Amino acid sequence: MSTETILRTINLNKRFKKRWAVKNLNFEVKRGDIFGFLGPNGAGKSTTIRMIFSLIKPTSGDIEIFGHSVRKNHSQALQKVAGIVENPDFYLNLTAYRNMQIAGGLTLGKIPSSKSIEHSLQIVGLADRSKDKVKIFSHGMKQRLGIAQALLCNPELIILDEPTNGLDPQGMKDIRELIIKLSKENGVTVILSSHLLHEVQQVATRMAIISHGEFRVQGLVKDLLSENKDIHVISVTPKIKAMKILKSSSLVNKVSLQKTEIEISTSHKNIPKLLTLLSENKCNVFSVYQKQTLEDYFLSVTSEEKVL
Amino acid sequence: MLLLIYFELLKTFSKWRTYIGFITVSVVIPVVMYALYYEGGEFINAQTRSIQKEFFMVGNLFNGWVIAQLIMNSLWVHIPFLITLVAGDQLAGEAASGTLRLSLIRPISRSKFLFAKYFTTLIYTALLVIVIALLSLGLGLYFFGSGDLIAFAENSITILHQDLLLNRFILAYALAILSMSVVASLAFLFSSFVENAIGPIIATMAVLVCLLVISNLPVDLFENYKPYLFTTYQNAWSLAFKDILDWNEISRAVTIMISYLVGFYSLTLIIFIKKDILT
Ligand SMILES: Nc1ncnc2c1ncn2[C@@H]1O[C@H](COP(=O)(O)OP(=O)(O)OP(=O)(O)O)[C@@H](O)[C@H]1O
Ligand SMILES: [Mg+2]
Repeated sequence: MSTETILRTINLNKRFKKRWAVKNLNFEVKRGDIFGFLGPNGAGKSTTIRMIFSLIKPTSGDIEIFGHSVRKNHSQALQKVAGIVENPDFYLNLTAYRNMQIAGGLTLGKIPSSKSIEHSLQIVGLADRSKDKVKIFSHGMKQRLGIAQALLCNPELIILDEPTNGLDPQGMKDIRELIIKLSKENGVTVILSSHLLHEVQQVATRMAIISHGEFRVQGLVKDLLSENKDIHVISVTPKIKAMKILKSSSLVNKVSLQKTEIEISTSHKNIPKLLTLLSENKCNVFSVYQKQTLEDYFLSVTSEEKVL
Repeated sequence: MLLLIYFELLKTFSKWRTYIGFITVSVVIPVVMYALYYEGGEFINAQTRSIQKEFFMVGNLFNGWVIAQLIMNSLWVHIPFLITLVAGDQLAGEAASGTLRLSLIRPISRSKFLFAKYFTTLIYTALLVIVIALLSLGLGLYFFGSGDLIAFAENSITILHQDLLLNRFILAYALAILSMSVVASLAFLFSSFVENAIGPIIATMAVLVCLLVISNLPVDLFENYKPYLFTTYQNAWSLAFKDILDWNEISRAVTIMISYLVGFYSLTLIIFIKKDILT
């Protein structure tokens, strides 16, 4: 992975009247990252993204994209950036195709080729609806059109603010796959904001968590995940017998009986030995998985009381 | 820049409200014509009765030019409503629908974006006046023929020879475009304040009504301010129908209206460049 920083927030602050929506935020996105930008509702994700796109001015601080200051020269800074911010809104009386022309035209300074528009629409599965007015599109279709606009003009950085909002499961999956594909095949850097940890976790390489406008933690997803990797969940019968065996094993630190499964705390490398032990004692193991306690971690970092 | 203006025209003319103005004048003008056609010369006789005793008039007094002037005379107070409908929506409408965000996440300068919008607003304003001109002169001359114009200036009556009239009408409509552009600029300015499309329309109308009242009140208190109110020049088009054109007066009216135009636009620019896009 490259170490080139392509986006950096510098002591970023935003105050609305008396409320600080973003407080002293510093994070970096490196080329090639799929950067998860996580935080619960109202954490300040959209506010930060609006500042990145220079829709709103920071109260103080700045953002650098590809080395250009957004405050000083947003046209330069945003030349290779595209994305969606909050709800997908369009010129409803114009066709999807026209909306694409406008979005691309504003970036390129000329109307994008019909080939590139059709290609982008194809990727999101709207090619056959390009001549329809956006007025009649469903929410999910608008969301896709937003992504199609973001893909136009070959951006190097795509910023997606809750792109799966309102999508069906297939749509969510499509978008996840699209993000991974863009990153792998086209080398696009992606910032993906979400309040859903598992969504980010499935695609992101690095992430930052914010809450109450403040930075909480940032790092490689695999590092953050491994901080809590010891809990494993075993589905096994008969349960009581298995509990006894596991409790008596020196390899296991903690055992607890859940509704249908048993949770144990042990190092990952002990699992094969424990499975052998269970089957030698005539217990039937159906499944074992590592519990994703990042979810709990996420909740614990984001629900901290605001320190004034 | 041309591309930005093209996009703005696309957006503006994809909206139903843009056509309300055109539809209104295309209905009103033919209806007025039709009524006058049936009323015949009665109407003009009534208007000129007082002078008919003193002057002996020849020729077609009830002609297309007279009708066009009449229409202008009755419409100039109402056209601003139609213009505000579109001009007041330019920024506020996009803010309300969230599309301002869509455009401004792109690497374009806000001042260029704003100028394209403003220019489009002025194009719409000019188009509306031109449609009124073409309809009233076209239909008027077709149905009522040509002739000399009896111009009802403030408290005198002037008769203008028909050879002069084309130029005079072009001047009148040009002045009308300018004064309507001032109204459009005011609505455009209000449109940058808010995120709903009704507010700017109502605000513009309120300001317009207040100032028009002041401009037309024959009260000494206001006399000193009147020359500086843009509403004083709302009917600047009628300057084109003076017996001898008073270029001093016309250029003063034009200067003041252009000052307002520049002033309103500059203010809009300052507001819009600083504005946080929150919708
Ligand atoms: N226009 C505004 N005026 C005042 N406060 C605002 C405004 N916009 C946002 N805020 C406040 O800023 C904070 C952050 O909001 P923001 O929209 O950035 O959250 P978010 O992380 O995107 O949340 P979500 O997951 O719900 O989209 C919230 O407390 C919100 O109330
Ligand atoms: Mg948000």
